[in-house]
Amino acid sequence: MRNLSGAVCDLASEVVSVLRDGGHRAVVSPNGQGPDAELGVAAVRVLGADVLLPSTLHRHPPAPSDLQLVREAVRTFPPGGDASVSTEWSHWAMRDALRRHDPAAAAPRPVAAEPVGAEPVGGEPVGGEPVGGEPDTAWLSRLTWQELTHQLAVLGALAVPPAVTGPSPVVAAAAPRTLDLARGFVRAVRRRDWLQAAGAGRWLAVLDSDATPVPATLGLETGLEFVLRMGGADPRVALHAHAAQLLRAGAAG
Amino acid sequence: MSTLKPETGDLQKSLETEVEAALNPGEAEGFYRDTRECLGLLLVAGAALLSPPTPRPKK
Amino acid sequence: MTAHADAPTAQTEPAMAHEEGHAALADIVRGALEWVTAHRDRFALPPDVLETHTDLNWSMKPLGELARLSTSITRAAHTVADHHDDPHWRQLAEIARELLDFTWSEIGEGRVLRELARLEPHATYPLEIYAAFASAGLRDEHFEEFTGTLVRTRAWASTEQQPNRRLGVLAAEHQARLPSHDDPTEALRRTWLGALPEPWTFDVTAGYALTHTVFHLTDWGARPAGVPADLDTYLHHWLPCWLDSCLEDQQWDLGCELLAVGASLPEPYPPDRHLPVWREVAGRRAPDGSLHEVGAEPPDAFAHRYHSTLAAAFAAALTAASTTRSRPSESAHRDAHPGHPGHPAHAGAHR
Repeated sequence: MRNLSGAVCDLASEVVSVLRDGGHRAVVSPNGQGPDAELGVAAVRVLGADVLLPSTLHRHPPAPSDLQLVREAVRTFPPGGDASVSTEWSHWAMRDALRRHDPAAAAPRPVAAEPVGAEPVGGEPVGGEPVGGEPDTAWLSRLTWQELTHQLAVLGALAVPPAVTGPSPVVAAAAPRTLDLARGFVRAVRRRDWLQAAGAGRWLAVLDSDATPVPATLGLETGLEFVLRMGGADPRVALHAHAAQLLRAGAAG
Repeated sequence: MSTLKPETGDLQKSLETEVEAALNPGEAEGFYRDTRECLGLLLVAGAALLSPPTPRPKK
Repeated sequence: MTAHADAPTAQTEPAMAHEEGHAALADIVRGALEWVTAHRDRFALPPDVLETHTDLNWSMKPLGELARLSTSITRAAHTVADHHDDPHWRQLAEIARELLDFTWSEIGEGRVLRELARLEPHATYPLEIYAAFASAGLRDEHFEEFTGTLVRTRAWASTEQQPNRRLGVLAAEHQARLPSHDDPTEALRRTWLGALPEPWTFDVTAGYALTHTVFHLTDWGARPAGVPADLDTYLHHWLPCWLDSCLEDQQWDLGCELLAVGASLPEPYPPDRHLPVWREVAGRRAPDGSLHEVGAEPPDAFAHRYHSTLAAAFAAALTAASTTRSRPSESAHRDAHPGHPGHPAHAGAHR
């Protein structure tokens, strides 16, 4: 049976499980690609760079089979000419993750030549060159706080600390809107939109800093726990909430 | 992993549409439910009238 | 879909929009006051108001609310009229004042409250209602003397009530020139709002507790300085979310109370945030100027619209008055200082 949302949830479940185990094993079991291989690749495309999140946050090299799947998803589902900016940014994030984890194979986009044997993961951005052809971020500053929160929650996979991944235009554009995102988190919890709340919470975990503080009165940590208990049965919610908690705990600080 | 065969083209097309939709979901409906108050045990119901909780009349 | 009330970069709307907003607020006050005036008899006390079978919630409470809010509306409308030398607002102040005079007359210029206090000496509600009149300068010395004895008992200080209501009793004691039974700062910190709770725990019950806490701190909008700095910051941070959910959940009555809270802050809630909410609320009014409490379908019953109609007039008058005491403030400016909760010690005493 073809069911993309089911496949996405199954994959998210695997990510959560690896994330909680410490990121030492493959997210997708290498022989798990049955007759629905295309569906599996589509699910990877939907979850995007989060398929490699356990490796990113725990700083382990990803399993070659996971890398291969992400490469396949990047190639099979390129943003079309009329693709939304969300689609473009999520595609960008996958390419960026590939660039970090597998610089030698960062096709299809030409990037600056990587030094041979460059460390694929680490505190320093590899290569120093952003992935070429970045989509626009100006639209972010034009959104109301409600729209902003919705859009950024959809782009939850891009909520990773630049200290880990290198410069990210979306993180940079979102940072001045931290208070607006905190409002969006409150709104999402009020509306019981757990997926949006978890995505917003994950962004807040990334953005919270002395320069752009999340108001202490928000109670982000208990808020994340609450979201996890209320909506954690949805693995996509659990993924964002666990990622946020890991970030708060300084796993990727 | 092979690229898709030509005969699966239509299937692939619909999958692309599904992926695009999954990457651009609309906002979920909000769900609201007020907190109710259950009177303390052994309190007679009439006690509630002594301190109406909000300035709203009963429906 | 909720109203996406404000621009992200939070530019103030053009001055013209502010003027339109001002006229729209006057229209809301006028429509509501005319509806209340037309239904004035529904606020009249029944002849058996002193009997035990009379439901206070349908007699004393509506009249007390009318007294309280017409006092505030009179004051706010005068502020706007004086500031802009505007005869239109002067007239609104007069309509509100007539409603206040009506309530004072209904209450027998204090006599009914005095009798109720003698019949139920340990109740706090006669004093709480009396405070609305005292705040407007309508006083009854006999009532104050009688109640003064009760206020000094240990029992009075330990009356079991919700914390925001305790704050209301404290404010009433102040209005009636009686000794305080407690430290207002400590009483404030026992309320939901005073604890600066996680804003995502807000619900309708917490919302009403919150609005009343601010009303008691500020004498119903007359004294914004009564709101301590940490509450001010907290409310500027989170009012946008709560207003948004009130609109989506169609909580018009609570929405108006939250708008009144915004207008009662030391630095008023900015026009680029409140005007879009007001537009939505204004659109929900019935053609007769009244506003129903909740939901999409406006029920006809007086019972389901008197409070929200008064709340709309109260909040609109306070909002208009708030724009006279500060430049059109920009939310971007407010948001530039996210801040953290302050020290409880800074909680303002409310006198």
